[in-house]
Amino acid sequence: MKILIVDDFSTMRRIIKNLLRDLGFNNTTEADDGLTALPILQAGGIDFLVTDWNMPGMQGIDLLKAVRADENLANIPVLMVTAETKREQIITAAQAGVNGYVVKPFTAATLKEKIDKIFERIDAE
Amino acid sequence: MESNNKTIQLEAARALVTALEADDVSVVEHQLAILTQSQESELFQEVGKLTRELHEAMSNFNVDSRLVDLTENDMPNTRERLNYVITTTEDAAHKTLGYIDQTLPLASELKLTAEKIDESWHRFRMREMNADEFRSLSKEIEVYLPEVKQHSEQIHANLSEMMLAQGFQDLTGQVIRQVIDLVAEVEDNLVRLVKIAGQHVENKPKDNKEVDPIKAEGPQINAGDNPNVVNDQDEVDDLLSSLGF
Repeated sequence: MKILIVDDFSTMRRIIKNLLRDLGFNNTTEADDGLTALPILQAGGIDFLVTDWNMPGMQGIDLLKAVRADENLANIPVLMVTAETKREQIITAAQAGVNGYVVKPFTAATLKEKIDKIFERIDAE
Repeated sequence: MESNNKTIQLEAARALVTALEADDVSVVEHQLAILTQSQESELFQEVGKLTRELHEAMSNFNVDSRLVDLTENDMPNTRERLNYVITTTEDAAHKTLGYIDQTLPLASELKLTAEKIDESWHRFRMREMNADEFRSLSKEIEVYLPEVKQHSEQIHANLSEMMLAQGFQDLTGQVIRQVIDLVAEVEDNLVRLVKIAGQHVENKPKDNKEVDPIKAEGPQINAGDNPNVVNDQDEVDDLLSSLGF
């Protein structure tokens, strides 16, 4: 299971990477916005995408839309980890096909819960 | 235009004098009308010029009105944002220091007990230990091993919390970026204002600040005051489940 972590702040990427390692996900790679993330995704081999929303270049919501619009990537589960907390934003992300939405600041337990839920659903399908 | 007008006026004036001398009332009235009309057209031109100047002044005023908006809304908002940065960094520092305070004694306790057991174990290996002492040592080891497990788990959990607390850098970084943008905008507007004051007016295209409801805003400051903003993960989950998630 290879996970791509997308956030413009390296500290946050490190935090998420460490938490994922604690949850048993050792194979992670990083990008600092949608524009750098897309080529990594398109190169293949990414099984799960964790992305921030507010980033320079290409924002997380646009990355999500681009992933869903690309037939090779459309089925990758996407977890959004973001400080964006307006209702319209959460609804837009849901409509764009996000699989989970975690608001910052978050706890290790919340991240685990959302990831477990995403994989439970995928396994059930 | 102006010289044309002058010719008309001169002709009308001459005709008027002639008509007055000839006592021709209808021609006098006619020439007077021509004179008044030419006067009016000059007035219209003047009004037109004034209107244009007013219009230009108004569009220049856009710069000033953005400045007013900046001082009235964005600046107080920026103070709140910077206060948010202080509070968030303060909380993160306290949280981290708190977990350090909690973790250090755990590590010391493990070290002290390990040292004690190590010493006894060494005596045991050198056959310097009697049966009673050995029984006491094995008891100590029995207590120590689960304690190592427990303490290590606690240390791991505390370290995870310290790591999570570092998320402040992302949250405050987003806010500080907004403040930097604002400072740049204020600077830009002040420069323009100075240019206008110096009569070097440039007509700038008006910023169309349309509100995009999903535009990324970073952490919400005073989220509690805004019903359109969710306050925690539970509210996010509720909203998503209401959408059939």
